[in-house]
Amino acid sequence: MIPVSVITGFLGSGKTTLLARLIRDPAMSRTAVIINEFGAVGLDHDLIETSEESFVQLSNGCLCCNVRSDLTQTLAELAARRAQGTAPPFERVVIETSGLADPAPILHALMTERDLIGVYALDGVITTVDALLGVATLDQHEESRRQAAVADRIVITKTDLDGADAVAVRRRLSALNPSAQIMEAMCGAILPAVLFDCGFYDVAGKHPDVGTWLAYEGGATYKVHESHKHSSGMSSFCIVREAPLRAVTLPLLLSALAENCGADLLRMKGIINVLENPQRPAVIHGVQHVYHAPVWLPRWPSEDRRTRLVFIGRNLRESWVRSLIDLLDAEVAEQAAKQASAA
Amino acid sequence: MSAQPITTEAAQLHAFLDESLALWQIAGAVHPGVAPVMAEIRAASGAVAWVERAGEDTPFRWFVRWRAAGDAPGGVREVRPRACGSLVGLLAAVREALGVKRGNAVRVVAPEYR
Repeated sequence: MIPVSVITGFLGSGKTTLLARLIRDPAMSRTAVIINEFGAVGLDHDLIETSEESFVQLSNGCLCCNVRSDLTQTLAELAARRAQGTAPPFERVVIETSGLADPAPILHALMTERDLIGVYALDGVITTVDALLGVATLDQHEESRRQAAVADRIVITKTDLDGADAVAVRRRLSALNPSAQIMEAMCGAILPAVLFDCGFYDVAGKHPDVGTWLAYEGGATYKVHESHKHSSGMSSFCIVREAPLRAVTLPLLLSALAENCGADLLRMKGIINVLENPQRPAVIHGVQHVYHAPVWLPRWPSEDRRTRLVFIGRNLRESWVRSLIDLLDAEVAEQAAKQASAA
Repeated sequence: MSAQPITTEAAQLHAFLDESLALWQIAGAVHPGVAPVMAEIRAASGAVAWVERAGEDTPFRWFVRWRAAGDAPGGVREVRPRACGSLVGLLAAVREALGVKRGNAVRVVAPEYR
């Protein structure tokens, strides 16, 4: 049977960073990867180097809401392609859920779906929780608590950031899920052997609610999954921009987003075509008002060289963000022209 | 005093400030100002802010004056404008004028992929 591991964790908690590092490990060479993103336009596939043949991106919304149509079908198709030799002979599957996913329906499907039993076995759930905003996120978001409660392994991320409190996060997680192994990783650096091969998934020792959630899933109809609702007002949108952005526009944009959207902006990530460096896209990640410094990729990961920015949050206004970007970039362009004419 | 002709820039600014009020969940409206005011923002709370375009001879881009809710006309903030270098500063000034408590200063930490 092919082991399936689920990597979950709240928005911006470091799932993709962890997966990107794991996939580079030779021990993970025969791994099929399934990535689910909340938004309609995914970016994570551009940030993880893996073979196209054993990679599936699910961008049709949240995986837990479409588990039957998306995950079950995808896994069944992958197995069929593997058997036919049209997909590499992968020996493991890793599923990265969206940050808002409730893992219960995903786990239930993996453990009970007729099309999957006998082919796949749920190996374990790995949950990322960040040391900077993790405690507040656990307090505020039911999804985050569920993700931690079902985990076999919990990876505390971003422990190197100023203000991070890994001890407090660990204490909170231990209370939530006493049976999980809790470990720390900076920048996703952790050995696959530590995370995988958890053994057959077992709810014993986990939070009492976990068994209830999974049992509830057994009675849920899959066609319209109604067993959970995402936090109210949560939405996502993607801004795709043909024209490159000026470098100076970026810090202004991040400032404006942090100051005006506040904690309502749960997650922002993007790949940006910067006017001054068009050959190398800049990748940015942010959670609320905390942004990682942009990383310059050595090259564009695909033919698509447009700027793509994904926003996930509550009470956000897409038109406001679009206008903000346009107005800021125009402002910077005008300033640059003014300086050029003065020189 | 003459009515400000609505330029493309003014129209864009009005629309953007209208969106900003909605984002901040502030009841109010944006009106065309009387020159040199480019936009006048009136909140239901009684607060008023006036946005002007700074002249080419200044290192600034915007000037914002305001009268906070409950303040008498002619106060210091109404007379002495706050100079803003960019739209980010303009938004900060308008938020202060309208009493919007929102957000944090951006914090940039080490790159995620190392």
